[in-house]
Amino acid sequence: MKLDKKIISGVLGIVFALLLGAVVMLIQGYNPWATYGALFRYALGDIYTLATTLHNAVPLVLTGLSASVAFASGPVNLGQPGQLVIGAMFATIGGLYLDLPKGIMIPILLLLAMLGGALWSGIAAALRRLFNMSEFITTLMLNFVADYLTYWAISYPFFDSTAYSPMSPRINPGGALWRFGDFNSDVLIMIIIFLLVYFIFQRTTAGYEWRITGKNSLFARLGGCPVGKNYVAVMLFTGALAGLAGGLVIMGGPLRFLKGIGANYAWDGVMIAMVANNSVIGTLLYGIFFSVMQTGALGMELITQVPREFIMVIQAVIVLVVVAGRGTLDIVLDKIATRRRVQEHQT
Amino acid sequence: MREPLIQMQNIIKVFPPNVVALDNVSVDFHQGEIHAIVGENGAGKSTLMKILYGIQPPDHGQIQFDGKTVVFQDSRQAIAAGIGMVHQEILLVNEYSVWENVVLGLEPTTWYGKIDRNKAREKVRESIAAYNFNLDVDSIVSEISVAARQKVEILKLLYRDVSVLILDEPTSVLTPQEIPQLFEKLRQLRDAGQTILFISHHLDEVTGLSDRVTVLRRGRKIATLRTAETTKTELAKMMVGREVIFTSLREPQSTGDIIFELKNLGYQDSDGKDRLSDINLTVRRGEIVGIAGVEGNGQLELVNAIMGLSTPSKGDILAMGTPIQDAQIIDRRKSIAFVSQDRSRLGGSLQATITENAIMTHHRLNQQLTKWQGHLLDQNAADQFTSELEANFDIDIGSIDNPFQSLSGGNQQKLILGRELTLETPFILMDQPTRGLDVHRQILAMRGNGHGILMISADLDELFRIADRILVLHRGRLVGDLPVEETNIEEIGYLMLEGHPKDEIG
Repeated sequence: MKLDKKIISGVLGIVFALLLGAVVMLIQGYNPWATYGALFRYALGDIYTLATTLHNAVPLVLTGLSASVAFASGPVNLGQPGQLVIGAMFATIGGLYLDLPKGIMIPILLLLAMLGGALWSGIAAALRRLFNMSEFITTLMLNFVADYLTYWAISYPFFDSTAYSPMSPRINPGGALWRFGDFNSDVLIMIIIFLLVYFIFQRTTAGYEWRITGKNSLFARLGGCPVGKNYVAVMLFTGALAGLAGGLVIMGGPLRFLKGIGANYAWDGVMIAMVANNSVIGTLLYGIFFSVMQTGALGMELITQVPREFIMVIQAVIVLVVVAGRGTLDIVLDKIATRRRVQEHQT
Repeated sequence: MREPLIQMQNIIKVFPPNVVALDNVSVDFHQGEIHAIVGENGAGKSTLMKILYGIQPPDHGQIQFDGKTVVFQDSRQAIAAGIGMVHQEILLVNEYSVWENVVLGLEPTTWYGKIDRNKAREKVRESIAAYNFNLDVDSIVSEISVAARQKVEILKLLYRDVSVLILDEPTSVLTPQEIPQLFEKLRQLRDAGQTILFISHHLDEVTGLSDRVTVLRRGRKIATLRTAETTKTELAKMMVGREVIFTSLREPQSTGDIIFELKNLGYQDSDGKDRLSDINLTVRRGEIVGIAGVEGNGQLELVNAIMGLSTPSKGDILAMGTPIQDAQIIDRRKSIAFVSQDRSRLGGSLQATITENAIMTHHRLNQQLTKWQGHLLDQNAADQFTSELEANFDIDIGSIDNPFQSLSGGNQQKLILGRELTLETPFILMDQPTRGLDVHRQILAMRGNGHGILMISADLDELFRIADRILVLHRGRLVGDLPVEETNIEEIGYLMLEGHPKDEIG
């Protein structure tokens, strides 16, 4: 019943947003049917586009999971952008110095990426625990530090002297992720991580404590949950998730740290977490859906006159409609339940 | 008999998705009567009155007022029609004077829209005189007693010309000395033609004050009776659904070892002000120790120190003979169960599911709920645990996967009580537990099983019904330690207000 409700509100929100987008297109003189056709064809039309869509979903889903778990557990970790680039940097540096067979090197680099992300969120966690500074502020500020730190790193110590713009050299080949035809193995890693996050968050005792703390931390504390320790654990865990996203961006993509490598992945991830109402499953589904939109947008631009940026409008409308619709649907469903009960009890 | 003033007919109220808070309740109220609404927590008393007052819409049924069918969209419409309600919590502007609070929202104005202060003040003064309320119109609300504030609330409604006054547990904020005065006022108002609806679960008050009484149980109306024709025992039986024995609630019992002790406990707040000083007390097995006191005299600080939410500045807390003042909360919870009246802040999480609320603390102490050395939650065991609580403590649960907030207040309280008592700790700390005969029965059963209970309560009737000893907290100090047999409500009430026994010159 509960999941059904979420699916209904999600699907309704998406349909409504697409309809609204169609109206805007009509007003501007575009053919919505052809535009959406191109969008979905270039996102899901064949194996290659499907593989691309899933690959593009990886950083969205992982940073989204990071934000979802953090928000649902209490800490307002908004440092995914910084944690992502630091994770990417750690994987890059590891990949430059280590030269090992794939089977050993890939796990090591992934762990390094997670370590980097956890380190970065760990700074914010330490500032909270030692000086009671709000992670809401410190994680945001650390995003800038991470940005400029990595920019410095690829401009000086790890600058590729053969390149014309700041970037690191290529990492050693053992750090490149496996590929299966058109599919990149980062998708597989994403799915494994998703299952792991779901398991930890929904099934373990720690996950239970995190969830309750996120809803009422005083109650959790009185109930005997070590809320201070849990806070640090959640910060490190969600930092590691964002860091892993960064590692995969390098290892499944350009194999080097380029300026601007973090793109807008992490902020999209935060947005996805909000649309998904911090649900782990919802984050996976919305992450893939947003990737469909973003990937298809390229093709849409290619064969129709509609600019790629139009997808941003639709994304924004989806956010608004789904978030606002959630409450509305609850009210409607409550009304239905009430009417049924009244009929049962009427004399 | 003349036509009733108010007829509520077949009222059904559902709290979605599954809780039926009121199930076809029909009740009539006559003009010029004091009508008590009684029932256990969660019986639907407040909900019924909120529907009459327009705060909550009924899902079915209708209300006739003065011969006409009425539908109130909000409380303003109810007040305009002549029905007013005084809530349990007093809602006044503390910085304003009495008259300003009374006229707020309905200020007489001059022709160009300025508040006519003289006229307003004069009108309020006239009503105070007319109802003989003994209030000064110019007193600032924050400086007057709680009882006086309650009068201001009532006056506020009378100023709006209501003819029906609803009072939701009005005595819960008053000291024993203040209660008879309120009752006297209510009788006067009735004699002046007002209709008074009065929510309570104090049967003493009900039998002493009301003309008629309606009993609700689990959302159903059990009966409406003339108070003169019934007894406390009969009413209690209707409320609870079985025989309740009044007099011998507390059977004499020999007490055992000391299981909980506070030694010279002191607490200073962040400003360095002493909030608790020299608190010494012991609780033995098989004993209920009550702490009486007007709210704000150190009760909160005491609870926080015992539970580990704050660090005492001085002294020791001993549970089972072991000092615990530096222990982690989870280690304290091995010997302390904690029942708080504050359900949504301290006792549970409204958005979490019922099961998630039910297993709190147990998830760390009860190995049957977890696997893998405590790391994995056993969902089936948790569900089963919750269902057992539901059965053992008679909780009305729709589905254990629903959010905690889908339960009515009384059922939330039962779940919290059940969860904490099921911890089977030797010591139980109760902070203003919701009053109710069922709760008392369970507390006494725990006492009978050799648990020691420390109960903080502002409700003296409750303390006298079940406590063995009563301590009085006054300005952060314990000023009395009296066995119930050797004291009375008046003596304790005096200690609560004055901080010293009556014969002593303070």
